[in-house]
Amino acid sequence: MRYSPTLVEHFLNPRNAGLMRDADGCGSDEYAGCGDLTRFYLKVREGRLAEARFQAYGCGPTIAAASVATELVTGRAVEDLLILKAQEIEDALDGLPEDRKHAAEVAAGAMRAAALDALRRPAVRDEPGNREA
Amino acid sequence: MSRRVYLDHNASTPVHPEVVAEMLPYFSDVYGNPSSVHGFGRDARAAVDVARDRVAAFLRVRPEELVFTSGGTESDNFGVKGLALARGSGHVITSKVEHHAVLRSAQALEAQGFTVTYLPVDPYGMVDPDDVRRALRPDTIAISIMHANSEVGTIQPVRAIGALAREAGVPFHVDAVQTFGKVEVDVHAMNIDALSFSSHKVYGPKGIAGLYIRRGTKMVSIQHGGEHERRRRAGTENVPGIVGLGKAVEIRARDMKAEAERVGALRDRMWEGIRARVPDVRLNGHPTERLPGTANICYRNVESESIVLALDLKGIAVSAGSACTAGSVEPSHVLVAMGVPLDWAMGAVRSSLGRSTTTEDVDHVVASVTEVVGRIRQAMPVGAA
Repeated sequence: MRYSPTLVEHFLNPRNAGLMRDADGCGSDEYAGCGDLTRFYLKVREGRLAEARFQAYGCGPTIAAASVATELVTGRAVEDLLILKAQEIEDALDGLPEDRKHAAEVAAGAMRAAALDALRRPAVRDEPGNREA
Repeated sequence: MSRRVYLDHNASTPVHPEVVAEMLPYFSDVYGNPSSVHGFGRDARAAVDVARDRVAAFLRVRPEELVFTSGGTESDNFGVKGLALARGSGHVITSKVEHHAVLRSAQALEAQGFTVTYLPVDPYGMVDPDDVRRALRPDTIAISIMHANSEVGTIQPVRAIGALAREAGVPFHVDAVQTFGKVEVDVHAMNIDALSFSSHKVYGPKGIAGLYIRRGTKMVSIQHGGEHERRRRAGTENVPGIVGLGKAVEIRARDMKAEAERVGALRDRMWEGIRARVPDVRLNGHPTERLPGTANICYRNVESESIVLALDLKGIAVSAGSACTAGSVEPSHVLVAMGVPLDWAMGAVRSSLGRSTTTEDVDHVVASVTEVVGRIRQAMPVGAA
């Protein structure tokens, strides 16, 4: 198996998969090369990520990267997510093959977009926990 | 892992135990070079001759019309380039759904100044013989059309195309790697001048294949060296491989018909099972003119690699109809030529059944596919593709 046990485990049992109807922020990213698409929905409480859900279209690593990302960033300050790096997601998956690095990039890009969307919404922006209103 | 199911017989097959038994002495006991004059060599030569006779009987051709090669790819290269280069220049007709061994041979000819027409196919993946007729030109020097497509299984109307080729006096090469030993191949009724066939798709060993060349057909060699294979293909014969191919063919002659019926019924059972349980699926390829064991199914809005991976983790081997390499997706050239929309083509999965496939295997696969596709779709953006 060319994928790590962690990756396989997330692919087989994705965490937080599915739509969130009343999200405080939503963002997606697409990898033009192969049409992979990841979308995150965020619920924010006092400037911090209370819950994340994802939807993803793509190969196994793409689904696993989105799944691991929801666990990785829950509890963090939303504004910190604006600079989330793909490497951190890849590390959480215990690595990706060279030709599947884009799975982590799409997940990171989608998470940054979702965080930006959340911070642009007045309900989140004006929350007391946000330093940069 | 409880149950392992191999549904990738179009890629390769397990060597039949009777074939293995037949081959074994030719590794350690009969190891002479068939070109040697001594007894060791003569024993090896005799084994090669027996195998050649077996294949010739199966194809109903003369033994001297057969050339053994290293694989289907070499046979296709030999067939396409051998016919074209023997004529120096001109126009070649092939189709957009050929195996890469034919397509890239044709492209190599283009680079050498030949012109090539790549015929389109209909939504079932079939070439229209009328398109062949229209493509024929005074300078057409070869036609190469596959017998059956490895990805979707569609069987081409080679009999009608062969008749056109014969009428026009143009040599006709057929890549029969996927049909040889699985369905009827009649080089006489089909007016075939060169036919590629392979061993490891029909329970023979890898590394051995062949090209039938009708007597009197002008060909040039593409591999030069010694006097082997009547000076048409240089290189010491793969004696154990040739022996194995001969035995595999003998077994196919015995088992082919009954197995085609059995495997065809299992394939239909699998498709009916999946269609009844999984929404948004379609079967690719011709509904009836199709290889008995092949089912190429598109799962809309699901990426095929995720299905292949999930099934692999359950011990089920199938193959993806589209490949994502280094982040750039390549939908199958066959599905693209058939006009399958991208959101379907990206989710193409090929299953190819074979002699070991059982009803229980098929029912297990149907249940697994239902579960796996349902789970992947749960995590999927609505309508995204």
